[in-house]
Amino acid sequence: MADQAISYADLSYINSELRSIGSYISGISNEIGVISSKQDNLENDLVVLQSDLAKLTSLFNEFVDADTRHKALQLAETRVGNLRQELDLKFGYYAEVRRMAIGILQAVDVGIVNDNTLQFTTEEVMIKAPGYWLAPALVALASWIRDDRHNTENALNESLRRDDYKATLFYMLIMRRLGRNDASLKWLERYFMHQNPHNLSREFITILEAVITGVFPPAARQLMMSNVKDWLDLLTHTDNFVNQQKAQWVSFFEASGPLPEGKYPLLEKYCINWPTLTAALKAAKTHKVLQAYFQDIVSSTDFSKSVKVQLDEILSLLVVNFDDEELPLQEQVRLNQLIIQMDGSKSAAEAMMNSEKHIFEEKVDFLQLLTNASFNPQLAGATKATQTLAVSISQPWIVEAYDTFTAQSRNKIPKTIELTIEDFKTSTKDGGNENELVKSQELFYENTLRIELGRISFPWGAIIIGSLLCLGAISFVVAAPLAALVGVGIGGVIIWMSMKNYNKIKKAIIANVEERKRKAKEVLRGCIAETVDYRNELATEDANAEEVRHFIAAIRAEDFTSLSKETARNII
Amino acid sequence: MARIILQNENFDFDASKKQTTSTGFLSDRGLLKKRSQKYLDLIASLDQKTLSETKGIEELMKGLQEEFGTAELASLPIGIVAKCFLGDPYEVHRLDLTAQIIRHYKINESMEPDFEKARTLALHNAYALVEVYKEKLILIRLDGTASKTDIGTPTNF
Repeated sequence: MADQAISYADLSYINSELRSIGSYISGISNEIGVISSKQDNLENDLVVLQSDLAKLTSLFNEFVDADTRHKALQLAETRVGNLRQELDLKFGYYAEVRRMAIGILQAVDVGIVNDNTLQFTTEEVMIKAPGYWLAPALVALASWIRDDRHNTENALNESLRRDDYKATLFYMLIMRRLGRNDASLKWLERYFMHQNPHNLSREFITILEAVITGVFPPAARQLMMSNVKDWLDLLTHTDNFVNQQKAQWVSFFEASGPLPEGKYPLLEKYCINWPTLTAALKAAKTHKVLQAYFQDIVSSTDFSKSVKVQLDEILSLLVVNFDDEELPLQEQVRLNQLIIQMDGSKSAAEAMMNSEKHIFEEKVDFLQLLTNASFNPQLAGATKATQTLAVSISQPWIVEAYDTFTAQSRNKIPKTIELTIEDFKTSTKDGGNENELVKSQELFYENTLRIELGRISFPWGAIIIGSLLCLGAISFVVAAPLAALVGVGIGGVIIWMSMKNYNKIKKAIIANVEERKRKAKEVLRGCIAETVDYRNELATEDANAEEVRHFIAAIRAEDFTSLSKETARNII
Repeated sequence: MARIILQNENFDFDASKKQTTSTGFLSDRGLLKKRSQKYLDLIASLDQKTLSETKGIEELMKGLQEEFGTAELASLPIGIVAKCFLGDPYEVHRLDLTAQIIRHYKINESMEPDFEKARTLALHNAYALVEVYKEKLILIRLDGTASKTDIGTPTNF
């Protein structure tokens, strides 16, 4: 009896203990489940965090870039203002004298200013602008108008002493304006005697301008053209000079390319040779820009102005054109203007400035003068008419430079587009092998999946321990049935837990790789689509080169030298 | 005009010094004349020729000398590179005038450095062929017009 009672009491106690152990275990397993799900969450959070960080970095870089450009832009704007002020402060008086020159001429035209006023103002200028050639020239003009021969000659000599070239040209233009052709031709001859095609002064462009636009009698143009022809023969005798110009044209072409538009965001991100790609596209797009440039030059022959207006324009060009001492400041103004024009990109501005820099050289050879006038007539001190003539005379080497530029840019077109999406590397020529690429990408991810699954190990250890526990427990089933039961329970739970965990990880990996594969496939297809667009755009832009070449090759100097004011009037 | 004469002397001195190395602007004029259709056809026909056809080579050389108007090998290009229409895997072919051989190249097969620099341009559709000279390339367009480029030479102009 007693035995029975004890065994009954023991059993219920053990049973309840067993139950509580069972509930503990399930509690533990629940907690493990919670922890593992928390860990999953943490991993997900980490991925999100990483991608956020990458986004932030790229945004920050963009911001820094934009900020730098913005600051450079602001600085350039301020500097332009300051430099202009400095110019005004230092050479502002010159501007006044220049305005006065035109003013005197126009006043004399209508005859409303009295001689005394002219004498007084010009003599005052003489005192106020020491060293400036235009001051004595104005005095000479005023004394000539009032028939004061002695004073005229003195002032004339003084102005020639201060700046022979400009004074000579000034008198030449005045004589032409007053219709004294013989006198102006004499001045022109004197002017030519000073010229040396290897070493021309900057203002020579002004005289070229004057003769080209036909403001001088035909004899002047003959004199000019025969000189120009001799100079050209001399300078193109060997390739030295021509090659210098060619190099400048090539770098001018290179610098004329438009800024990138950001049309291919995927390629920009995933293509490892993107810098080459974008450079090739930029070079190809340059052709269109150049076409507009040359068309603008060639089509702008303007005969609408009267001779007198044009003379005044040239006169004001002559007098307004910066004098040599102003050049350093003007150069800085130009650099800052270019920075503004290039949206704050200092390097782009410097590249443009570099191709223009010869404009600021004080003495140039004739070919260089033509190049300067072609690049930027305003800076070179000429008008569009001279630009047209300069381009047409330089045409043979412009074509050569253009051929070199075209060949160089074509030579740089990348043969293949190298893509790297995640760790999948591939290359395509024109995007035509899409299916092939997609297939190899799929293979890549199959492989990745296999490798990643291989990395997690099947929980053999836990299963063996669990099984051993079960087996061991079973062997005690007779001696201690309750302990055996507990052992089997614990062993079973260990096996079940480890299997559950293993399957969970496996599923997560498969899902992860699938997701990556899906995204990467989208990116790959996007890249291929952009590749097709890129090749198409490149081909279209590149084809413009042939058109532009035809256009430049068709420019002939004779077309423009004959199309001067006189002949145009004759035709009308 | 005295200054011009003075400058002129310097100038001539410079020119004579450079004469041996420079590729003259005027001296190249002859090279830049329009090529004849016959010449273009001749080069285009290279695809049909087998690689070791001696008689073909002789004919070819004769045709070239006719085109360049000279029998001197020195004034001829060192070779000609053009697109190969034999089809995949052949990409370009090269006519080596010094060794007088024709060779077709596969896509990933590289040519001698002198010729390799002409490859990309030869493959470009705008050009029918590229004449390779020691210091320059002459690009011949489909209509026979020629243009010079200094690619591949360390040019400072």
